[in-house]
Amino acid sequence: MSNPTAMQARSLYRSLLRQSSQFAAYNFREYAWRRTKDAFREHSTVTDERRVQELMQMGIKELQVLKRQTVVSQFFQLDRLVVEGGKTGKQTGNRNGIIRTNDWT
Amino acid sequence: MFRAAILRAARTASQSAVRAQRPAFQRITQTPFLQSRISTPATSISAIRCYASSSGLGQDEVTGRIMDLLKNFDKVQDQSKLSASSHFTNDLGLDSLDTVEVVMAIEEEFSIEIPDKEADAIHSVSQAVDYIMAQPDAH
Repeated sequence: MSNPTAMQARSLYRSLLRQSSQFAAYNFREYAWRRTKDAFREHSTVTDERRVQELMQMGIKELQVLKRQTVVSQFFQLDRLVVEGGKTGKQTGNRNGIIRTNDWT
Repeated sequence: MFRAAILRAARTASQSAVRAQRPAFQRITQTPFLQSRISTPATSISAIRCYASSSGLGQDEVTGRIMDLLKNFDKVQDQSKLSASSHFTNDLGLDSLDTVEVVMAIEEEFSIEIPDKEADAIHSVSQAVDYIMAQPDAH
């Protein structure tokens, strides 16, 4: 629990989850969240030092990808999906505010 | 005739003296009023400050919200062991990854960001409550 590798792994896990919640699009956001959780669960029993370092490097690479893609995803915002709840409908905000009204009722 | 003139002069003189005195009198009476006007904003400011500083979260509310959060967390194995003092690993059967998820859910609930060092130190409900209580911007 207190060894440095475990702390790094937890830190990486936290950063990945935090970064994945930044995706604008629901599908990407949920996929990144799910993929991170699954990958960490899958390899939670790995004890080989070399393999752990490899996986950590892979995670850091994924974090870089996430950071880039979340920024890109902010530029291409789609309308919120119905499953997301909250406000739905077309984007009507001027001055780049996202004000949405439900226009199919 | 002469007497009447003296009396009239005396009356006007006394009236003018009264009239001259009145502003001075008013000034005297106004000074406490002015002081009170100055002092009222000061008290109202302090009242606002008191109100702002005391509008933190109550311990019961924080505990309740964290407990609700854990109740909805599907990896908690034994719901009966869930209490205000339960330990994430020992009582609720969560591993370190679940603990990270719980702490992140707490962050989202109270709209704060807990740094890695502090987040790693939270292992139980009571520790989380203590941490949230120490945060002035948690809400």
